Amino acid sequence: MLKDEIKKNTRKFFRNPTAVLGFVLLIFFILIAVFAPLIAPPENPDNPYRIPIATWSLKPQPPSPEHPFGVIGQRDIFYGVVWGTRTAFRIGLIVAGISTIIGIVIGSIAGYFGGWIDEILMRITDIFMALPFLVAAMVLTTILGKGLDKVMIAMIVFGWMATARLIRGNILQVKEEQYVLAAKALGVRDSLIILKHVIPNTIFPVIVQVSMRMGSLVITAAALSFLGLGAEPGYADWGTLLSYSRNWLTEFDKAWFSIVYPGVAMILFVLAWNLVGDALRDIFDPRLRG
Amino acid sequence: MWRKFLILTIVLVVSLFAFAEVKNPDTVIVATIGEPDTLDPHYAYDTASGEVLFNTYDCLIQYKGESIKEFEPRIATAVPSVENGLIRDDGKTYVFPIRKGVKFHNGNELTPEDVEYSFERGILFDPAGGPMWMIIEALFGKYTWEDVVMDHVKLRTGKEMAYSDLFDENGEPKPEYAKYLMEACRDILDPAIEVEGDSVVFHLVRPFAPLLYILAQGSSWSSILDKETSIEKGLWDGDPNTWWKYHDLPKEESPLYAFENGSGPFKLVEWNREQQKVVLERFDDYWRGPAKIKRAIIWGIDEFSTRKAMLEKGDVDVCYVPAQYLSQVEGMEGVTIIKGLPTVSITSLHFNWTVAEDSEYIGSGKLDGNGIPRDFFTDINVRKAFVHAFNYDAFIEDVLNGLGVRVPADLPTGFLGYNPDLPLYKFDLKTAKAALQQAWNGEVWKNGFKLTLLYNTGNEARQTAAEMLKYYIESLNPKFKIEVQGVQWPNYLSAYKRGLLPAFIIGWLADYPDPHNFIFTYYHSQGVYGGPQGEAYQKWAQENVDTLIEQAVEEIDPAKRQALYEEIQKIAIENYVGMPLYQPLGLRVQRSWLKGWYRNPMRPGEDFYAYWKAE
Amino acid sequence: MIAYIVRRLLLLPLILFGVTILIFGMLELLGPEKLVSAYIRGPEAEKVAGATQKIIEKYGLDKPLPVKYARWLGNVLKGDLGWSLVGKQPVLSAIFSRFPYTLELALWAIVPVVFVGIWLGIISAVHHNKFLDHFLRVFAIVGWSFPDFVFGLFMILLFYTKLGWFPPGYLSFDMERVVSSPEFVSYTKMVTIDSILNLRFDVFLDALRHLVAPVITLAYLWWAYILRITRSSMLEVLRKEYIRTARAKGLPEDVVINKHARRNALIPVATVSGQMIISLLAGTVIIESVFNRPGLGRFVATAATQLDYMSIIGGALFYSILLVLGNLIVDVSYALIDPRIRLQ
Repeated sequence: MLKDEIKKNTRKFFRNPTAVLGFVLLIFFILIAVFAPLIAPPENPDNPYRIPIATWSLKPQPPSPEHPFGVIGQRDIFYGVVWGTRTAFRIGLIVAGISTIIGIVIGSIAGYFGGWIDEILMRITDIFMALPFLVAAMVLTTILGKGLDKVMIAMIVFGWMATARLIRGNILQVKEEQYVLAAKALGVRDSLIILKHVIPNTIFPVIVQVSMRMGSLVITAAALSFLGLGAEPGYADWGTLLSYSRNWLTEFDKAWFSIVYPGVAMILFVLAWNLVGDALRDIFDPRLRG
Repeated sequence: MWRKFLILTIVLVVSLFAFAEVKNPDTVIVATIGEPDTLDPHYAYDTASGEVLFNTYDCLIQYKGESIKEFEPRIATAVPSVENGLIRDDGKTYVFPIRKGVKFHNGNELTPEDVEYSFERGILFDPAGGPMWMIIEALFGKYTWEDVVMDHVKLRTGKEMAYSDLFDENGEPKPEYAKYLMEACRDILDPAIEVEGDSVVFHLVRPFAPLLYILAQGSSWSSILDKETSIEKGLWDGDPNTWWKYHDLPKEESPLYAFENGSGPFKLVEWNREQQKVVLERFDDYWRGPAKIKRAIIWGIDEFSTRKAMLEKGDVDVCYVPAQYLSQVEGMEGVTIIKGLPTVSITSLHFNWTVAEDSEYIGSGKLDGNGIPRDFFTDINVRKAFVHAFNYDAFIEDVLNGLGVRVPADLPTGFLGYNPDLPLYKFDLKTAKAALQQAWNGEVWKNGFKLTLLYNTGNEARQTAAEMLKYYIESLNPKFKIEVQGVQWPNYLSAYKRGLLPAFIIGWLADYPDPHNFIFTYYHSQGVYGGPQGEAYQKWAQENVDTLIEQAVEEIDPAKRQALYEEIQKIAIENYVGMPLYQPLGLRVQRSWLKGWYRNPMRPGEDFYAYWKAE
Repeated sequence: MIAYIVRRLLLLPLILFGVTILIFGMLELLGPEKLVSAYIRGPEAEKVAGATQKIIEKYGLDKPLPVKYARWLGNVLKGDLGWSLVGKQPVLSAIFSRFPYTLELALWAIVPVVFVGIWLGIISAVHHNKFLDHFLRVFAIVGWSFPDFVFGLFMILLFYTKLGWFPPGYLSFDMERVVSSPEFVSYTKMVTIDSILNLRFDVFLDALRHLVAPVITLAYLWWAYILRITRSSMLEVLRKEYIRTARAKGLPEDVVINKHARRNALIPVATVSGQMIISLLAGTVIIESVFNRPGLGRFVATAATQLDYMSIIGGALFYSILLVLGNLIVDVSYALIDPRIRLQ
């Protein structure tokens, strides 16, 4: 049954041109990330995320055969964009992954057990949601100290609440379903019920949510880089490159490449996730079915 | 409905263009970064505050035009010198005859009592981290007023105590010590600065060569306050029994925090903290005659591109441009760029001879290829290798866009004691390699090492300097590893101060243009940068340079001072104490219609009194 | 219904209390050594030895946790959030004096964000899976995918450097002098409103001129969000029985959409729009810095850049109170309007 569902949905997905566009873009980025060491071989394999220094001069240098995307702030932009793909995936996957797991755990416990546990967990959720995401991430990163790892921690700490609420709501709905009530009546263990019945039924909305968040996490990280809280200049990260290059933005004719290449990479990356997420949402949104 | 909305929008947008830009011919607008820290002259210790104070207050004397060595009278009617008899007792007494007819902004007349009061209030206030140590050092040979007080207490009681021990838990002085507090003010401070007729006299405990610099316009801590207004506002009331109530108040509790009643050419109209903007207005009763412009605005615009765009449009007259963006303003229409102005600062790298124990920047802490021992830099060969593994000229040319000059030691060009014939370190990887092969009996070369260099984020010059050193040192031997890591400024500060950094890059901006301010800071065991170089360094300094430094500041004969400072620098160079990276050259970017600007590196920011605007 | 409102009101202090613990907890992660940097600053401060220890003692930074929390909370309740290094004034007054600027920007931005966003969403839904739908969605998502500062700087490049239409900043100097003159009465501290109340339309137009570029930036960055919600809500409604009936009856398509579908589709959008304004308040953090406008966002951003812990903590507290209260108002008013909400 699940198999048929997936098959049907897959067909639906690929009939949607924007979804296909998103999907192709995503595959493209995955390939770049996987083959980064071949596309842009690192000088120092221990620390490939450090963009090697191309020149001592701080002046931007236009694209040349040696540096196909040009040079900004002594660094090769091509290298930064290629390895930045890995950074983008890392930020997205780690933050979305961990915060979603936290959200699932908390949401499931709250939804399944209900009562006091639910009340307490949901109030904690409310408290964490009382801070706007960007502000919260900013505060925590400031306090933990700058760095991409700190940015990621901050985004995880303040990124799990939507999932928790979603899961909880869905579980409350599923709990009333006949088969769950039946399983409970038969004395099946709680954890087993959650695993076997509840999670599979609620996982699609979570997947939609994750794919929609992937992109905006990279944007938020870039915003924190703008504030000087992200990675230091020279780290292969699109947001860091953009935030460094912004002082050249009004000299567009002299330094367009420093904005355009990392900028386009970031926009296409976010676009890919959003298009895929949008399409998935159209497919899985029960209100739109039929 | 949507169509209507669209049309409305278009009409509105079109009507907005109709407004033409009006450039204010009688207003000078400066686009910079940041804003003043406080307007209390005895607390302010940054150039942004100094700039406002420079234009709103007067000091006793001022620099003569562009010179940083010659003075002109200002509130004093004569510059003291041995020749005119106003410096006496072999340099221990300075006499300043006070000008008559000078008005404060509220109309009060400036008197010698105001001058005496200003300095006494400042010394008693002496906020932690403030600038008053300079005057206290000059007058009393100590660095804080509390030290002066405790010295007196020790003299009277024979006991060694902390200043806080004099007070009970309510912050009131313990009865047995109240007397000594009062005496410190009455018997030590009061006689040091006295009014004699129309003059104010400073009595020093020993000759102190740089005194006049510390008093010259631009040294905001020497600004002259109006005693009457100050007391009304709630500053120290002149009573020696209660001065401790006014000592070391938090910045925001000072009544002068955002208020001024100076006698300078401009009045403070508004300090708009929401917009990071300070608005000054001409003081029409100024004793030198009113300024040519009516209004001056100092505006903090943090985003460089925004600031630059406003300069381009003529909406601001002066714009702060970091050296690496020079090419963005070159050739801009109606904009004048003046390059290559020597500044009074030095940026250099110094080594820590005894890294603090809990440092995370020295790897394993052993010479096993994964770290360095805490005393790594005590070996002269290591230091020798580092100073030779840096491409100084390429750095100045490429990274600083040529806006820097090399100096042999940590003393800027143009200062007394500077000698262009002292040797500059060469970029020489062979020497560096040979030195490292010998270092630590060859252990360094055999095992390799690993250490971390920090820089404060946002400072690209320092980041590149650290990376350049890394690049060349690592090129000598694949076992050498240097990591370069950026941290925010406050963290950088606390890390180097606690001695955690194996080596640190730091700059110093002159408080006053005397060699003592640099040589003491960098090389003396008690200097600000002496401590972070570790105990082993301090010991070395005590044995090799401390006495010379102390001797040099008490010497009045410039020729003898020159010789002493040269000797100190020679010792420092031969022992590879530090790597002077560069002395920055200033960059001035302004609209061409702004006239009257002149260069003086000791002036914090603009001298609006000299400006006017004309096509 | 009353039970719902009472429950929400009762929970309010609890949530706010939780927020203070959360925020204090973050502050404590710093430890006394780093907190000191909240009190002294700059290389000059380091020129005198021993300042650090003095400051730790003075502000009780080495006391045990509960003592510090009690002291901190006591201060917060008194309105004392500490001294703002970047604001150069107490944190609370720094926040209050900057908030009207941000509110003004958010209020202006909400108009194009919501109205144009809804418009785009409806077009997109009506042309479901046709070229226009795809085009609009990609257009909006591209906006959503821009880092704010990049798009904002593009706006400056275009509208100020190239065209010279919309300068950055808040007001031009002449108008600023008008506003700070005694004749100009400041009722709300929001200059677009005050200028009308003072009948100074030149000031109003000048303020508007400075608002255009940041508002366009905010709008483009947020359209995708409203578009998506309007679109799916519209799609849902378009599948409903009564729409099919209306179509079956032979009503023209634009009547179906304008009269029947849109009204019903906008209920969820309205809910979101209420929350939108709160999101926009927080969304100005970077826009204000780029366009050099005064405001709470820029204040918090500068505080983060310069590690001004007191300000950033105070700002976070203020934002969270705003968010909690704002959500409460939005939720309660919708509960009053639309009984279905309460059931969820």
